[in-house]
Amino acid sequence: MGARSYFGQRLVAVPGLLLILSLPSLVWGASLDLKVFPSQVEIGAFFRGQRVTVTDLIPQGAEAVMEVVGQASDEHLMRKGRRGGLWLNVGEIDIHGAPSLYMAMSTDPKLLEAAAAAEPWGYPALKTQVTMSGQVQDPERDEFFEQFLKMKESEGLYTIFQEPIKKSPVAGGLVPVKGEFQLPTNVRPGSYEVCLSVIQEGRITAKNCGELQVAMVGFPAMIATLAYQHGAIYGILAVVIAIVTGFAIGFIFKGGGGH
Amino acid sequence: MSWSLYLPVAGNSINILLLFGLGGAVGFLSGVFGVGGGFLMTPLLIMAGIPSTVAAASDSNQIVAASTSGAYAHYRLGNVDFKMGLFLLIGGVIGGTLGVQLIKVLRAMGNADFVIKITYVVMLGVIGGYMFVESLQALRKKPAPEGRRPEPAKVSVSRYNRFIQSLPYQMRFDKSGVTLSALLPLILGIFVGILAAIMGVGGGFIMVPVMVYMLRMPMHVVVGTSLFQILFTCINVTIMQAITNFTVDLVLAIILLLGSTLGAQFGVRLSRRLKADQLKILLASIVLIVMVQMLASLIIPPHLMLAHKGGH
Repeated sequence: MGARSYFGQRLVAVPGLLLILSLPSLVWGASLDLKVFPSQVEIGAFFRGQRVTVTDLIPQGAEAVMEVVGQASDEHLMRKGRRGGLWLNVGEIDIHGAPSLYMAMSTDPKLLEAAAAAEPWGYPALKTQVTMSGQVQDPERDEFFEQFLKMKESEGLYTIFQEPIKKSPVAGGLVPVKGEFQLPTNVRPGSYEVCLSVIQEGRITAKNCGELQVAMVGFPAMIATLAYQHGAIYGILAVVIAIVTGFAIGFIFKGGGGH
Repeated sequence: MSWSLYLPVAGNSINILLLFGLGGAVGFLSGVFGVGGGFLMTPLLIMAGIPSTVAAASDSNQIVAASTSGAYAHYRLGNVDFKMGLFLLIGGVIGGTLGVQLIKVLRAMGNADFVIKITYVVMLGVIGGYMFVESLQALRKKPAPEGRRPEPAKVSVSRYNRFIQSLPYQMRFDKSGVTLSALLPLILGIFVGILAAIMGVGGGFIMVPVMVYMLRMPMHVVVGTSLFQILFTCINVTIMQAITNFTVDLVLAIILLLGSTLGAQFGVRLSRRLKADQLKILLASIVLIVMVQMLASLIIPPHLMLAHKGGH
């Protein structure tokens, strides 16, 4: 059994290796040319989102699709339905494998608009990764995936940008490209993957990836640590602050209040 | 200068002036009517982009400050009946515990949302409608002096009085100027506590009419006593939410409470200038507006067919 499994793996691995060797132009992974600026975003007390710039070099005549993808997590949602003539939450739907953030931009926006499920970018590609469980029937999945996208777009967490990645004049046989996007104020702290796919003759010939780190710092970080790690102390502190403020304001207004 | 401030638990940035204004407006109503304002503030915060669970929990925290400020101001005016407030509070805690269990059962049966929404609409409609009509009639007939108790129909008064007098454990509540059974505020407190737990609010807007119409307390004592009772209810809710759900955003609560405590002071001043029936008709109007808005959201097809769990 063990030997069969071993040879089975070998049989799969060899053609896979040959396929990779037969595609010398396909470069997959971190690129020295792909630059994300800033690569670390700090969420401080006065965070108003962050403008992020991504630059790279692509071959002449090629197109590019840039994606910013957050870590996948489970989302617990309620579906609405009509009961007794009223619109109510009628059941739970859990969404699995959906990224916390998804943003896409291209040198040619048509690439994103017309993205098919076979393409590894855009919403159709996301649909193949996302699964649903709970009170949802198979025929309803497409409808609720659309609703999920609509919800995420309204929260500013999923965006297909209409403005294209800018191309600069050719330099040294390569075209410098620059994509700019705004990280929303409700972006979660964590690690985000920024990838730029190079497309030639309708297929991806290279995919360069970089990392974008988002972290809470200073006062928000202190409050979040207290809230999530010392809930009881945090709750009592919140009540004490509220009572002291209530009394203080009451005392300040005492002179004008009368009896 | 940037007026945006990051809220670490809500996970979003929001304009400080907007939050301060919201806090001030709701605190003002709290001071005028003796209601916590949760039934107004939480939906407004959700509209401003705060997750519903964080909005409800942080609102409880700011109500602690607003009701401290308001209750203190009313205490100085001699408007808090601590004895009555204590019975209502004990009943409210018992009722709240029962209500939470009831919601658990309803959730298991899949009927929780229906019951919550219908309870909201019916309670707001009945309380708002009754208060509005009764106050309007009183204002049309004769201007009632400030703090005077309402005078419902004579037949029902005598029946209700006989019922109250027949109950055991009769007790004098000096500050409210009434003698009634200690069981009455306890039972009514349980009733309001159950409703408050089902609706996820402090229950001030139910407690105020209960005190006025069923406990026959004068309006000015009702407001102060209601704020005293709400204070303790919201202290409990804030600590429980911080420990179990991690949904209290201290930064959000502090900005709201700065606005609401200031607003509450101005509200208390206005409440002293208005007559009891004027106060009631204003509160009734606000309650009815919220009821209509909620009813509309139930009838009009929603923009999105999905919502985050814990929201409305």
